[in-house]
Amino acid sequence: MTRLVRSEVAKLLTIRSSYALVLMTAVGTAGIGVAVALAPHNHGLQRLIFPARGTPAWYDIVFSALALAEDFALVFGIIIMTGEFRHKTATPTFLAEPRRGRVAAAKLVVSLGAGVVVMAAAVLAAFVLGLSFVAAGYGDIGEMAGRLGHVLPGYLAATVLFASYGIGLGALLKNQVLALVVGLGVTAVVEPILIAAWPNVGRWFPSEAARSLETTSRLAQSGFGADLGHLLPSWEGALVLVGYALVLSLAGSLTTLRSDIT
Amino acid sequence: MQPATVEVRHLTKRFGDVLAVDDLSFSVEASRVTGFLGPNGAGKTTALRMLLGLVRPTSGQALVNGVPYRLLAQPVRTVGAVLESSGFHPGRSARDHLRAIALATGVTLSRVDEVLELVGLRSDGRRRVGGYSMGMRQRLELARALLGEPAVLVLDEPANGLDPQGIAWLRSLLRYLASEGMLVLISSHLLAEAAQTVDEVIIIDRGHLAAKGELADLLGGGGSTVRLRTTEPERLVSSLAARQIACRREEGDAVVAESTTPEAVGRVVAEDQIVILEMTNSTESLEELFFSMTAGGSLPTSQPAST
Ligand SMILES: Nc1ncnc2c1ncn2[C@@H]1O[C@H](COP(=O)(O)OP(=O)(O)OP(=O)(O)O)[C@@H](O)[C@H]1O
Ligand SMILES: [Mg+2]
Repeated sequence: MTRLVRSEVAKLLTIRSSYALVLMTAVGTAGIGVAVALAPHNHGLQRLIFPARGTPAWYDIVFSALALAEDFALVFGIIIMTGEFRHKTATPTFLAEPRRGRVAAAKLVVSLGAGVVVMAAAVLAAFVLGLSFVAAGYGDIGEMAGRLGHVLPGYLAATVLFASYGIGLGALLKNQVLALVVGLGVTAVVEPILIAAWPNVGRWFPSEAARSLETTSRLAQSGFGADLGHLLPSWEGALVLVGYALVLSLAGSLTTLRSDIT
Repeated sequence: MQPATVEVRHLTKRFGDVLAVDDLSFSVEASRVTGFLGPNGAGKTTALRMLLGLVRPTSGQALVNGVPYRLLAQPVRTVGAVLESSGFHPGRSARDHLRAIALATGVTLSRVDEVLELVGLRSDGRRRVGGYSMGMRQRLELARALLGEPAVLVLDEPANGLDPQGIAWLRSLLRYLASEGMLVLISSHLLAEAAQTVDEVIIIDRGHLAAKGELADLLGGGGSTVRLRTTEPERLVSSLAARQIACRREEGDAVVAESTTPEAVGRVVAEDQIVILEMTNSTESLEELFFSMTAGGSLPTSQPAST
């Protein structure tokens, strides 16, 4: 198993798309952070008071850009799994380890590391952004770093679990484009609809489970005003995400992954 | 060490309506090169992929050293395989591709440079595979097959895309490996090339076994065909017939004796003192054997209409 994990790590380190994903996470996080920070204070559509710049509550909102890492981690996980089929490297991979479930397990382990790396890139970008705001006179460095440290564990947990959820989705669907469409589609389209219509169903879905893990303020999460009372307790949210990763991976290992490689 | 074995028992694979491999049974021995031949769509690739655990048989078994590939303790060190439509990540270098496999299988990393050297890719090993030519990719596949120093080689059209030097090199490599005790099973459409490389052939047609045996026996088993020109064709025909040698007259002064040997015909001619103008001897080629054993594949064999 250690060998398989090392092999999977080597695969990731030797293609550009891994580095590109990490870089895009950093750039995207900084971009969203800037956009949120510069949003007008008294926008007509925002029913709630936007906290004053430089306050901890304001930094909470700026750092909510870290949630982007969850989506990139999902994409990363999907690519780690489905790349084998897209590039037909499944043949050499399964020749080297014909017990395909073990390959999926190694990829699950590696995806956790990939999630950490993606999060690290996002946090680095957020920290640099925070430093720039401090330098520009908004708040002080201790408070800024304190807020970042406070929200980090929740985003980290959610990101890591999202990467492994991507592995499960990839294992079950096998087709890269399909898995990306389903994964991102559920997050960006299906869940918002469910949350609006049936929050008690929607909360069992991946992104809502991830939100329950986030340790940031509800104000930062809510998009200013949405009711978040439906979210699961965070430990349940974590279990739900672990469940998605494991159940989908297992289901994939028993179905799609066992199919003929021709 | 026990010599390696490959055995296929009642192997069957159905893809929907297509019966790709149909109750195929054969065994392959070590220390020789065995050709696995058949027309397009005969089921060669499917059978080899079942042998390698990549395709699940509908029924029957494919065994390497007595066990299914999936149960081999060290598959890459036991079997090396070259397969059509096996892939590479285009952005990864050949060396990194092989290193990932070496890491997964416990093969030492220095072996990666050895096999790259062996297939002539040493100086290109750090290039991204996306930029490789077809022949270079095929060499990389060979390098991967040899990575674990296996005792069994399974090669599906390994000469695909290789240049003439590469084909000659591959032939001598396979001959050498077989002489060292390796079991080599190779599918190929290059029959003239295969005839020079293989000791034994297995011919399949539409998923069935059509012929199997020593190449020399299959080709020589029916004896050879001796063509003669003589001043007395009628007398030659009756002399040959009197000795139970199958023969027929052809145009002019030609006589053809079949399933015999030049020596037998020569003795008849000498004993009966018949004047011979010309005598040629031909044995069946692998190509003729192939055509006679297979229905010619699923593709149309008629001449294309001229335009
Ligand atoms: N994944 C698949 N799905 C459906 N049919 C398949 C599949 N793979 C192979 N077949 C069919 O099985 C039959 C045998 O194919 P196979 O590739 O094994 O032939 P082959 O002997 O290797 O041919 P070639 O000489 O062209 O390489 C063909 O009719 C083919 O169309
Ligand atoms: Mg084939």
